[in-house]
Amino acid sequence: MKRSRFPYIVTGAVLVFFYLPILILVVDSFNASRFGGAWRGFSFKWYVRLFHEPAIWTAARNTLFIALFVTFVSLILGTTSALALHRFAKTRLQRFHYTLIYTPLVVPEILMGISLLMAFVAAGVRLGMLTIVLAHVTFCISYVALVVLGRLQDFDFTIIEAARDLGASSWMATRRVLIPMLAPGLAAAGLIAFTLSVDDFVITFFVAGPGATTLPIRVYSMIKHGATPLINALSTLLLALTFTTVFVSQRLSKSVALEGGQ
Amino acid sequence: MAEFFEFKNVSKRFGSIQAVDGVSLEIKRGEFFALLGPSGCGKTTMLRVAAGFETPDSGRVFLDGRDITDLSPNRRRVNTIFQSYALFPHLTVRDNIGFGLQIAKKPKAEIGREVEAMLSLIRLEDQADKKPDLLSGGQRQRVAVARALINKPDVLLLDEPLAALDLKLRQRMLIELDLIHDQVGITFLYVTHDQGEAMSLSDRIAVMNAGRIEQIGPPAEIYEAPRTSFVAAFIGDTNFLEGVVADHPEPEYSRLRIDGLPDVMVYNDKQIADGNKVFLSVRPEKIQISRDRPESKTKRNAVPAVVEDVIYLGPTTKYWVRAGNHRLQILRQHARFFLDEKPIRWKDDVWVFWHGDDGFMLERFRRDDEKLVAAPPQKVGDE
Amino acid sequence: MKRLRRRGQEILLTLPSFFWLSLFFLIPTALVFILAFRPADPFGGIGRGWTTATIKGLADPQYLAIAWRTLWVSFLATAICMLLAVPTGYAVARVSERRRNLLLMLVIVPFWTSFLIRVFAWKSILHPEGFIKKILVFLGLVDPGASLLYNLGSVILVTVYTFLPFAILPIYAAAEKFDYRLIEAARDLGARPFEAFRKVFLPGIRQGLVTAVLVVFIPALGSYVIPDIVGGPGSELLGNKIAQRVFVDRNLPLAGGLSIVLILAVLAPLLAVLALQREKSRIEPPPADTES
Repeated sequence: MKRSRFPYIVTGAVLVFFYLPILILVVDSFNASRFGGAWRGFSFKWYVRLFHEPAIWTAARNTLFIALFVTFVSLILGTTSALALHRFAKTRLQRFHYTLIYTPLVVPEILMGISLLMAFVAAGVRLGMLTIVLAHVTFCISYVALVVLGRLQDFDFTIIEAARDLGASSWMATRRVLIPMLAPGLAAAGLIAFTLSVDDFVITFFVAGPGATTLPIRVYSMIKHGATPLINALSTLLLALTFTTVFVSQRLSKSVALEGGQ
Repeated sequence: MAEFFEFKNVSKRFGSIQAVDGVSLEIKRGEFFALLGPSGCGKTTMLRVAAGFETPDSGRVFLDGRDITDLSPNRRRVNTIFQSYALFPHLTVRDNIGFGLQIAKKPKAEIGREVEAMLSLIRLEDQADKKPDLLSGGQRQRVAVARALINKPDVLLLDEPLAALDLKLRQRMLIELDLIHDQVGITFLYVTHDQGEAMSLSDRIAVMNAGRIEQIGPPAEIYEAPRTSFVAAFIGDTNFLEGVVADHPEPEYSRLRIDGLPDVMVYNDKQIADGNKVFLSVRPEKIQISRDRPESKTKRNAVPAVVEDVIYLGPTTKYWVRAGNHRLQILRQHARFFLDEKPIRWKDDVWVFWHGDDGFMLERFRRDDEKLVAAPPQKVGDE
Repeated sequence: MKRLRRRGQEILLTLPSFFWLSLFFLIPTALVFILAFRPADPFGGIGRGWTTATIKGLADPQYLAIAWRTLWVSFLATAICMLLAVPTGYAVARVSERRRNLLLMLVIVPFWTSFLIRVFAWKSILHPEGFIKKILVFLGLVDPGASLLYNLGSVILVTVYTFLPFAILPIYAAAEKFDYRLIEAARDLGARPFEAFRKVFLPGIRQGLVTAVLVVFIPALGSYVIPDIVGGPGSELLGNKIAQRVFVDRNLPLAGGLSIVLILAVLAPLLAVLALQREKSRIEPPPADTES
């Protein structure tokens, strides 16, 4: 039976569609011209200029600081949540809990942004780094909980019984078997939380106060105010970081799989 | 010998299902004891109660005279071989085997020594530093055995340990388990649905059905003298015949009147009184089949029949015959008694006969159990 | 005793996330509904008393037109995403394992790439001085004076671009589990390739299709950054209006009122899917096999 080539042609076109704009942006970041249209020679000048923009580096530092904190808090909240959802799956409380975890995922970001803004205004909380962290943790919990829950559902719990059978106390079985085996899942969940926090613009924009500028907010105002070549350079740096992260994490998970005999 | 591992009136219910219903068992020290039954009969629940993963709703469990019913799994000197083996995928073979000793905080040198001894017992010295995922099914099973035995448990629980292996490997591991049991002298409680495994390994078997024990005894007794229709039908194959006890021509032997057949003699050690309605079970390989009428002897039951179907099975042939309004299955080996014997064919008139000692009157009969025995072949559309 | 301890454990494990999400998700969402009935105060805060003026004000034809446009743009973007995602998800599921891993990675990378950067990339290539414009003008397809940016077309294009990876992944996940012998069976029974695709494959990956539609349509409804960056005054969506009420004239109650409209627009497709699935689960399970 001959298979149609149409899906493969579409796939090729989709990949070109995905990568062409990014490629042009990267090339343009090395273009001496102020506007992307014409090639005026290879140059690093936008990168050099980028290094002399202290506002960007402050924003980057804020972003990193927020993301690390958010990752830590949401990993704890998301993991306890996943454990509860998994262990007590069918109780009424857990059904409600699951809905509560799931709903933030289907709510458009702008709604979460405006509702948090209203809550902070109503409660008289000063907008700033703190409100950004609170908001980010709120949307990261759900992702962490669902990723960890997925791992728990695939987890063969007779292994825990085996550890108990061999003399391990409940806590020992958790520490020596459950946690090491969940570690890759926790790492994946943490990476997702970190990326979401670093990348978030909409919600952050609503709850950020003066002085609490993150990188996406900085990039947004640069886009609005037309600092095109600088954004090209900054984007290229961020893209390089993303590609390396994805590549390394794929490699890591692949080598784990290889060790596991896949 | 004193009772070593004892279940007293244990019951366990899950929701609307009574998984175990008042089971009492006594297992002797060093015994290889099998719990045999179909899936869902409660045997796995019994094993989980023994291991401490489930607490019974009522009843107690004793090990060496001590009540261990409420002891958590890690505080029992009982170890389990799981059906899936449940090896720790993040640990090497060596660390898997040494896990119990590490938890018990034994000195490093001792752990090393014990693990090496176990590795040589299961002949996996060269695989010690691999992760379990890289091992074959048989190797994993041996690691699971070693990981449990290293703790020198009082009782080793085995949950269908051979189910995940293919036939040839299963036969090899069967011999290996038997050897290990002989070597270590630990009490084995072996749960299986495979009667072949239970028969060939165990000292005694308890047959379970629907949360209750149907019969306990050595393999030969279970097979040769089933007490209930379930045991007769679940283990091996059988014919059921319904009749009425007519009289006692001899002590311990009764004459049975069966609708549509000549009277048959049957061993009656249970002293079932005349006039009672009973069920007789006769295994197919205990029945002879011949074109000629056999000489009549006391306690030999001979019945005329017509062959309805002949099924060639390799080492044996199965005949379905109709005798009166009963359909009987007969299993016959191919070795010929007379060289000029003519093969028996479809529609032949034959005699079928068996010794009175080979039939058993059942204490308990349930219609449902008839479904467990091989059904006579039916023509398409013939209900 | 034991049951009590189990209950205690459950509450202990549930409480942290439950408390957090109640405080920072449930209550704030409820607040949107409440504050829409409060008047605005002149300092950008929330005034005293109650009013229904804000909600009544939403009937303004300007807002109705924008709500309609939001629905329409989201629908078109979702449809285009599905047209591209189904063949792609199928292709990724059908290639050899080596290639599949590469393709999957290529689909996932944009997923991890900054959303703003991806929107910005389009702004610069659709720019009057940008790459695409020059090519199109060179090919004579576009008038040198025409603008590729700041219209509904550019908004839909960039929406498709940013949400397409989200649509491909669930379709791929369903297509990967699909039993392709069913297609062979359909062909064997006389179906033409496209019929087999439509009558066997699509129903087989139904769950993936539903998820894909939801993950594109719902965020598209709340879209704000895309029309803000590549759209113009004629292509504003509900999200822009909400943001303007917050950042431009600081009228939080009105922003709340507009948010309620958005919430209703989001709930409609969700409830429809839930109702459909409940309908389906009502179909009886197959009878148990009597022979065993």
